[in-house]
Amino acid sequence: MTFDTAYQEPRPVRLSERTRQFAYDSLHFTYGKDTARTCAVSLDHIPEFEQLSALDKYNAAIFEIVTKAPLRLCEGELLSGAATLGAAIDHMVPATYGGKLLWRSVSHLTLGFERVLTKGMNHIKQELQEALLRHTAPEKIQLVASMIHCIDCLAVWHGRYLEALRQSGEHSEALAHLQQVPFGPATNFFEAVQSLWFIFAFTRLCGNWPGIGRMDDMLGRYLTEDLQKGRVSLAQAREYMAHFFIKGCEWIRGTSYGTGDAQHYQNIVLSGVDEQGVDLTNEVTYLVLDIVEELGISDFPLTVRVNRHTDPALLRRMAEVIRHGGGIVAVYNEDLILEALTAAGHELTEARTFANAGCWEVQIPGKTYFTYAPFDALQVLQHTTLAAYDTRRVHAESYEALYRQYQADLQEAVEAVYQRKNYGSAFWNERAALPCSVVSLFTEGCAEAGLSYYEGGAIYTIASPHIGGVPDVANSLYAIKKLVFEEQKLSLAALLEILQHNWEGHEPLRQYVRHRYTYFGNDNDEVDEIAARILHDFAGMCHALQGRSFLSFPPGVSTFGRQIEWAPLRLASPHGHHKGAVLAGNLSPTPGTDCKGATAAIRSYCKADLRELTCGAALDIHLLPTLVANEEGMEALVGLLQGFVTLGGFFMQIDVVDRAVLRAAQQHPEQFPTLAVRVSGWNARFVTLHKEWQDMIIARAERGALL
Amino acid sequence: MIQRFCMHDGPGIRTVVFFKGCRLNCVWCHNPETKGAGQEIYYTPSQCIGCGACAAVCRHGAHVLMPEGHVYDRSKCRLCEVCTHACPTGALEAVSRLMSIDEILSEVMRDKAFYGEQGGLTISGGEPMMHPSATIALLQAAKEQGLTTAVETSGYFDPAWLPSLCRHTDTLLWDLKDTDPTRHQNNTGASNRRILDSLTLADNLHPHLVLRCILLRGINDDDAHIRAVAALYRQLKHCQRVEFFSYHPMGSDKSERLGTPAPGEPAWMVSKEALTEVKSAFWNYVNA
Repeated sequence: MTFDTAYQEPRPVRLSERTRQFAYDSLHFTYGKDTARTCAVSLDHIPEFEQLSALDKYNAAIFEIVTKAPLRLCEGELLSGAATLGAAIDHMVPATYGGKLLWRSVSHLTLGFERVLTKGMNHIKQELQEALLRHTAPEKIQLVASMIHCIDCLAVWHGRYLEALRQSGEHSEALAHLQQVPFGPATNFFEAVQSLWFIFAFTRLCGNWPGIGRMDDMLGRYLTEDLQKGRVSLAQAREYMAHFFIKGCEWIRGTSYGTGDAQHYQNIVLSGVDEQGVDLTNEVTYLVLDIVEELGISDFPLTVRVNRHTDPALLRRMAEVIRHGGGIVAVYNEDLILEALTAAGHELTEARTFANAGCWEVQIPGKTYFTYAPFDALQVLQHTTLAAYDTRRVHAESYEALYRQYQADLQEAVEAVYQRKNYGSAFWNERAALPCSVVSLFTEGCAEAGLSYYEGGAIYTIASPHIGGVPDVANSLYAIKKLVFEEQKLSLAALLEILQHNWEGHEPLRQYVRHRYTYFGNDNDEVDEIAARILHDFAGMCHALQGRSFLSFPPGVSTFGRQIEWAPLRLASPHGHHKGAVLAGNLSPTPGTDCKGATAAIRSYCKADLRELTCGAALDIHLLPTLVANEEGMEALVGLLQGFVTLGGFFMQIDVVDRAVLRAAQQHPEQFPTLAVRVSGWNARFVTLHKEWQDMIIARAERGALL
Repeated sequence: MIQRFCMHDGPGIRTVVFFKGCRLNCVWCHNPETKGAGQEIYYTPSQCIGCGACAAVCRHGAHVLMPEGHVYDRSKCRLCEVCTHACPTGALEAVSRLMSIDEILSEVMRDKAFYGEQGGLTISGGEPMMHPSATIALLQAAKEQGLTTAVETSGYFDPAWLPSLCRHTDTLLWDLKDTDPTRHQNNTGASNRRILDSLTLADNLHPHLVLRCILLRGINDDDAHIRAVAALYRQLKHCQRVEFFSYHPMGSDKSERLGTPAPGEPAWMVSKEALTEVKSAFWNYVNA
């Protein structure tokens, strides 16, 4: 029984054989496949269902889910609760009427689970009942009543588990824990873990894809106390926590999914400072790293909040996990993100609670509605500024004039994004009509406002414009600047003519721009400054939108792999790429253009003032396994993390990949069912990605920040 | 050449500056491009698109565009580098570049944020000490910037420079080619006597010495050599560690691009298992 690794030595063994076997089964799709048995519950039997309001339909669905969903008790499992309905894995509320699934579920958020641990659901229900009394408008009363109804449904599901545990007779400890939580507050570490798992599983049972948030912050205090009082050993705690991670793989089915089979946004954020600014790193932080290091579970993307004072021992532990590959551990530069959040108007104490949504989009957990609006800055350049290379419509006297035209076009694109996502837009109205009481229940502000998560009930309602393709815009502008305006090798019109014909008949010139210029990702100030300028301008345009409605529009940078779907819409590029090429992801170098190694890539990325990009900007780094082998490799990884923080990075995901192994997996998928890779903000089993996604990952690893 | 983000040439993340020129003539040389002190031209046929840009600018007739493709006649080449500037694909490329100490240093300083307390500058080659004053000036300048310094050397240079080299070097990476005098003479073209004398001298001057021993199957992987290295290690007072590594034919790709014969043969590679055995034999001799 081994777990995949890119490292030369096997993963360490600390957990019991039984737990390891449980993990092995879970990672080999035993439970994911089980969800196919019951995809969803049916609402067909409900009288006059079609006459019900959307909210009442939803209430009926949640009730049906908690009463009919199959329970799952696994042999030897230490935690109870399982999200067993298959449709949830496809981002739907798992309830059908007339054979059709009714609603899309909620993702891209981290819920306020902490209150469940500290106060218990009974207390939360009481608060809601008080809130109910404060409302007079019928729709607000109905909304809060629906949230209370969800708690009652949770009680039904909870009751079914208690009964099943009693009957099994083999889970007496689990039964004792579940009798206390999640309705009462957790009184020890085991109960806290059970409470968190149960509530997470419940929200997933109802179809939603929440993040977990700051797990070590939520659980650390319980473990510290138990350890002090000698109630638990570290080994016991590790074993127990391992079951959280193993059970969290219950949605993986090993089947092809396009973007991979593990994209359920079950993010965990570790370490960093607490609300008072004190480092909260604790034993739970290290236990989580122990567990993923041993079992190679990549389904919970971990992001560690690193700052200038982070204990080098923690960086070292991260490096030891990273070297096994799978892209499990990513890093936030906490110092910079706190500056970004306070500059955006958050109180420092609140800013310090930040976690993420979806992939790595920064948000205040439990208080935030989040959506983002991606757009392709390269298409803006190619189709608008350069008029799809129609020479009659493009006139620029100088590079600066060209840039200013681009700036104006970018402004229009940002404005369009704003119109598309703002309050009152078709997008907004469509979303607001979706019932989502389970999520509203764990989102601060909803009960008070009497508005659902989708209706703007959260304290913060965010629609973040995400710019993509910036490295390629910078590279394109740089190539034009050199070729046309500095070296004057040809006129702009002549270059556009060549581009319009996809470089055909001009191979020497195409080779010239590809090989003679040094592009973004190689620490060339001249091109990096173009990228920085675009980002600064974009951030300014987004910040100027603040205050125009109650939504906020924090700027972010991402592609999340959209460079694949954008490729057919893109034209030949001035920096030497043919039409339809898959270009740069996130804020990472264009594949094949970076040849100076990871440090140069980080430096290029950090030249932008990333504090202005409140929602985040990701850099993907890929290293060869030989590079992180042995002691020197560990030192190098620690050095990279420290440099990233010092230079002002935002978010970095590091994967260790062997191209030869990826190619072999593409040829013989049956031999690599569990090989995990970082995709973009999430991880997936490589063989479950569609071919174009696999090709993108191989290309990225081809030369990349590799050396 | 300058290579960033290196981690096998001294502690931490390092930037390695390769100097050109070496007085040894090792038959297995893995950096053939740094052997000669003068400029050389790389030619990579697989990158050539036959555009003829080189032939158009060459005034010596070194580049000819034949029906079957581009032919580079090195005997006619005057190393003027004009073709390397004209070539659009990088098929023709100058091996080295003349740089001032300041220029080198500013490139090295770019990765300062990643060096931490351990990483920094490594000077390698070639033999850096073929250019002792430049090497020492660069080391001194790096120290003034607060960088740690390492030098990789064969030890084949005038020992009079040792004191000042050691003064500015934190880690001395000493490439010990062979302990057998005859083989050393035959395979590197020079005696190892002076090298071993210098090593003893360096040991008295320098606290951080690392011995790096290349092993070639059937050439110097015999027991007598391992024993001799162990004896040497026991004599040295400041040797932090000994690294054994196998010959690797990575120099052959570069020599092909330089138009020179391939240095060594793949058969000289030492297997991972054999390397492990050598290491344990070494420690047995050390502890005997």
